[in-house]
Amino acid sequence: AARAPGKKITARLKRTLPVRGPQAPTVSELMRWYCLNTNTHGCRRIVVSRGRLRRLIWIVLTLSAVGLILWQCAELVMNYYSASVSVTVQFQKLPFPAVTICNINPYKYSAMKEYLSELDKETKKALETFYGFSEGKSKVRRSVDDWNSTGSDFFQQIPLLKVEDLSRTATELHSGQKRKIEGRIFHKDSSIVNSADSNDIIGFQLCDANNSSECALYTFSSGVNAIQEWYKLHYMNIMAQIPLETKEKLSYSADDLLLTCFFDGLSCDKRHFTRFHHPLHGNCYTFNSGENGTILSTSTGGSEYGLQVVLYIDEADYNPFLVTSSGAKIIIHDQKEYPFVEDIGTEIETAAVTSIGMHFTQSRKLSKPYSDCTETGADIPVENLYNKSYSLQICLHSCFQKAMVDSCGCAQYAQPLPAGAEYCNYKKNPNWMYCYYRLHEKFVKEQLGCQQICKDACSFKEWTLTTSIAQWPSIVSEDWMLRVLSWDKGQKLNKKLNKTDLANLMVFYKDLNERFISENPANTIVILLSNFGGQLGLWMSCSVVCVIEIVEVFFIDSLSIIMRRQWQRAKKWWHGRQQGGSGTAPQASDVESQGHDNPVCIDEDLPTFTTALCLPLPQDRPLPRTPPPNYSTLRLETAFTEQLPDTLELGRH
Amino acid sequence: MNLKKYLVRALHRLQKGPGYTYKELLVWYCDNTNTHGPKRIIKEGPKKKLMWFFLTLLFASLVFWQWGILINTYLSYSVTSSLSIGFKTMKFPAVTVCNANPFKYSEVKPLLKELDRLIEAALERILQPTPGNSSDNTSLSLDLELWNQIPLVLIDEHDKDNPIILDIFETNQTAVGNETATGNETKKHYKLAVKLCSHPGSDNCTYRNFSSAAQAVTEWYILQSTSILSKVPLHERIRMGYQAEDMILACLYGAEPCNYKNFTQIYHPDHGNCYIFNWGMDEEALNSSNPGAEFGLKLILDISQQDYIPYLSSAAGARLMLHQQKSFPFLKDQGIYAMAGTETSIGVLVDELERMGYPYSDCTMNGSDVPVRNLYSQYNTSYSIQACLRSCFQNHMVEICGCGHYMFPLPEGVNYCNNEDNPGWAYCYFSLRSSIKQRQICIDSCKETCNDTQYKMTISMADWPSEASEDWIFHILSYERDMSTNVTLDRTGVIKLNIYFQEYNYRTISESAATTIVWLLSSLGGQFGFWMGGSVLCLIEFGEIIIDSLWITIIHVISWCKGLKQRRARARYPDAPPTVSELVEAHTNPGFQPEAMGAVSQPEALPPEPGTPPPNYDSLRVQPLGPDSDAD
Repeated sequence: AARAPGKKITARLKRTLPVRGPQAPTVSELMRWYCLNTNTHGCRRIVVSRGRLRRLIWIVLTLSAVGLILWQCAELVMNYYSASVSVTVQFQKLPFPAVTICNINPYKYSAMKEYLSELDKETKKALETFYGFSEGKSKVRRSVDDWNSTGSDFFQQIPLLKVEDLSRTATELHSGQKRKIEGRIFHKDSSIVNSADSNDIIGFQLCDANNSSECALYTFSSGVNAIQEWYKLHYMNIMAQIPLETKEKLSYSADDLLLTCFFDGLSCDKRHFTRFHHPLHGNCYTFNSGENGTILSTSTGGSEYGLQVVLYIDEADYNPFLVTSSGAKIIIHDQKEYPFVEDIGTEIETAAVTSIGMHFTQSRKLSKPYSDCTETGADIPVENLYNKSYSLQICLHSCFQKAMVDSCGCAQYAQPLPAGAEYCNYKKNPNWMYCYYRLHEKFVKEQLGCQQICKDACSFKEWTLTTSIAQWPSIVSEDWMLRVLSWDKGQKLNKKLNKTDLANLMVFYKDLNERFISENPANTIVILLSNFGGQLGLWMSCSVVCVIEIVEVFFIDSLSIIMRRQWQRAKKWWHGRQQGGSGTAPQASDVESQGHDNPVCIDEDLPTFTTALCLPLPQDRPLPRTPPPNYSTLRLETAFTEQLPDTLELGRH
Repeated sequence: MNLKKYLVRALHRLQKGPGYTYKELLVWYCDNTNTHGPKRIIKEGPKKKLMWFFLTLLFASLVFWQWGILINTYLSYSVTSSLSIGFKTMKFPAVTVCNANPFKYSEVKPLLKELDRLIEAALERILQPTPGNSSDNTSLSLDLELWNQIPLVLIDEHDKDNPIILDIFETNQTAVGNETATGNETKKHYKLAVKLCSHPGSDNCTYRNFSSAAQAVTEWYILQSTSILSKVPLHERIRMGYQAEDMILACLYGAEPCNYKNFTQIYHPDHGNCYIFNWGMDEEALNSSNPGAEFGLKLILDISQQDYIPYLSSAAGARLMLHQQKSFPFLKDQGIYAMAGTETSIGVLVDELERMGYPYSDCTMNGSDVPVRNLYSQYNTSYSIQACLRSCFQNHMVEICGCGHYMFPLPEGVNYCNNEDNPGWAYCYFSLRSSIKQRQICIDSCKETCNDTQYKMTISMADWPSEASEDWIFHILSYERDMSTNVTLDRTGVIKLNIYFQEYNYRTISESAATTIVWLLSSLGGQFGFWMGGSVLCLIEFGEIIIDSLWITIIHVISWCKGLKQRRARARYPDAPPTVSELVEAHTNPGFQPEAMGAVSQPEALPPEPGTPPPNYDSLRVQPLGPDSDAD
């Protein structure tokens, strides 16, 4: 009663929150107890089996079952991130895609005369000197006269060369001088490397302006390619200096391009089209671009209910060197996508009706961790230069443009401008072409790292096209059709349209079935757990409870037993030292306190009938003392009883 | 009496559960159940007991939660798809070939003569609006009645808010002439429109205007010719169309020759006579077991472009379509063109989609559960979504306009629309066609088929015949067709077609249920086993315990009722309840009969003989059905 309050509290705490050690005195006892009482099936067999062989077999079986469980569960976890594909087909009203239509020729040649006359003159001159081509005598004479006066600005920048053979000498076009080629030779056509015997190879040389010895010669197997490529380089230079507003005026207007328009059985006009200026293709017109907020949709399939457009392709006004084919180019894309006219697109023939049947497929991939794709592109360290939603193409182009600005100091003409940069032209950046070619080569060889940075988009819409062509207008209807279309165009009747200036286009849904291909996670946590449960149950009839048991018995209990043993040994040793060896180890002093009567040994965990029914221990009415059972296991060391106050306390309570 | 005894015994047997109090029952259950948690509750010490109790509760609730998720997943009837690609022997698709132009102009000319003259005169007026040029005598001979049924009008949009509508064949031509003459530079503002009225002469009219006159003319011509042709009987229309022997010049399937007799004729309202190769309605469909053009179908067609109806179809070529054997060819939807003077090669890949029906996806196996009458069944064809949509439209048309549209098959007892019998039909048709509500109704009521077959085509073209071979090819083909040595064919009419299977000729996407009942059961078992080591038997055990506890409750309730009654009885007789001896005494002493006797549920207990010791009925104790009685 006279104990200190602190001690009182600890005693109370001990009573209410006893830290109980395991009842079994040794680890092997604990194991035995565990095996007999656990819910898993193998362990009990080990203990119960008689005979060493049988026990051994059971041990092996149990262990292999544990091994199997671990292996199978590891498999389950490793295959957790797998996806299953489902294809659903829905018949419904479908959104009509955006249809971007471009004339293959970007700008009206007649309007471009003032910008391109110099370049064209020199191109013609080059054609004449190399191939003896002349359009008309008078023109040639004049250009020859002009030759010296105007000076060959273009040829000084990028000289066109005729490579004699592989002896590395070339004739320069302008001066006619032979010069030695230094630097590397790049063959645009790889086949030329094999056919080294042909000695008329046309190419052009690009030099580093700062270091004239650093040159690269680009050769082509055919002069057609060489001239076109050479023309295009100069053309881009010139175009880069013209402001956007002027360029838009130089190109085709909606009235120029579109003669008739018909959608979903109703008439439409240029108001349904949005202008979109493409640097290489001039003014393109997008039908149903969704710019005014509404996206048209189709509720009936078939050619009558799609888009029908008659295009006016003014073939006479084509640039002869820049484009060599005639017609229009169309791209069918989603409203949020950027139409890459130069990369994809279907070409439309003139004097024909092109019927394009569409089939709509939508796909969706699962992003990380299932696959390496990106939902919005926000996690990609490349700035999206296009004002459209992310796609792999946009990423690659933006990445290249950025590299171009970084290393060449100016932006390439065909792609949008990053902030603070301007387009290359050789007045300001005399070096850009060489730089561009080197960079492009690196890009193609995947040395810029763009292909590694850019990832696929996770979801994409796709329109599968079936394109077929028929003659239009037919021979018998040609007459009235051209007359009426001329009237539509508001032209005078004497200037009748030609059928090669016209192209008819039909874009329609073949059917309104939308295919939706989506990846779904094959596993959820619920399914994973039930698979775990299935495995555990199949091999050992185990559950989470068993796992907790195992943790409890194998880690906490056995550890505490070992610790206790160590503690006792240490204490004993200490005692022995203190008593100086005279005091013998305390023996099992009183026989009475052994066996069942020893309260310490009343193991509550043994499934006796009384414990099962939770009946109070018969303490108040002591039964006549039974002789101690002959369990060797129940024989305790005396030290155990004496030196474990907490266990004692509990047992008495 | 016997039955009652039996019942009582049965009752006793039933109530002989594992215990007579809830606690006993629970302890017994926990100790003997096969689920893992409860055992631990019993076997551990008092503190761990609590922990295990909560753990068991937690696990049990987890199990139920996860079961809920699993059952939900099962009921969502999700599917997984599997894809197979390769080459196998496949049925060759049915190939429908048509001419883009429905009838030979030389045959229909008598019918369309008036119409052509009208449109020519109208175009003359529109294109050359100088009054001196148009001669009065031509307009007099025109059939203005035909014109006035559905007239073309000019709309002057010079003044945007107040457009002036000008009739082309108006009597006061000078006004028109003046108008156009003054606005010569603003000619662009004129638009051509089709005037549609609900009744002739009524004011309820709409103007279908077009951005282009070419479209207006075509539209107008189609409307008028439809009205004329709808009165022509079917056999006459077939006669006016292209005949198989004129159209199909050569045919070769694999190494086997075939001719126009291998084609089935079908009358298609859009394209006149169409011919279907390998139409497997009665006979077995042809198989193709080799890829490549050598083993496909090769056709040479003549479309005779000179004989086209000039205003009806402006595109020239053949229309063809690949489809399944039993389906109707909807050329406007799925058809492709083949150009004259070219060889068109078509590589085919069969893209099949096999889906599971209800409840996995909303599709129909054969269209029998679709509420739309399939009008295309008269062609002896199977259900398809296009057939359903068109039948739906035609049914609406018949319902609202009173006549059927020429482009679709007719239900019984209904005629095609024409200007004489149904003057307002064009107005009605266009209002119906542009109504979004009608379309939505049809989309909602039609279902797609579960097995969807698409023929993916890789189309390529080359010029044919080549300049060098042109002469002899045309010579032979003309000779074979017309038995004459004159060349009757030319580049503008002949078409060569190659249709063959690609190296990989099929791609099948088939569905299978992602969740089956077996999957559900094993997942449920897995969950239960994972958290608690339980099985179905454990559930049954649990059910048993619930029944037992119900019994205990019943017993308690009964005894409580008893107690209540007795307490009431006691309240009435405030002295102590009669002991056994008292009762015995009461029985023996007839003058001391307590009224509470009836409350004791022993009506059959007869009063014992006087002087005998009290019977050892358990029932005579206070709780006749109490647990103590059996505990003894």
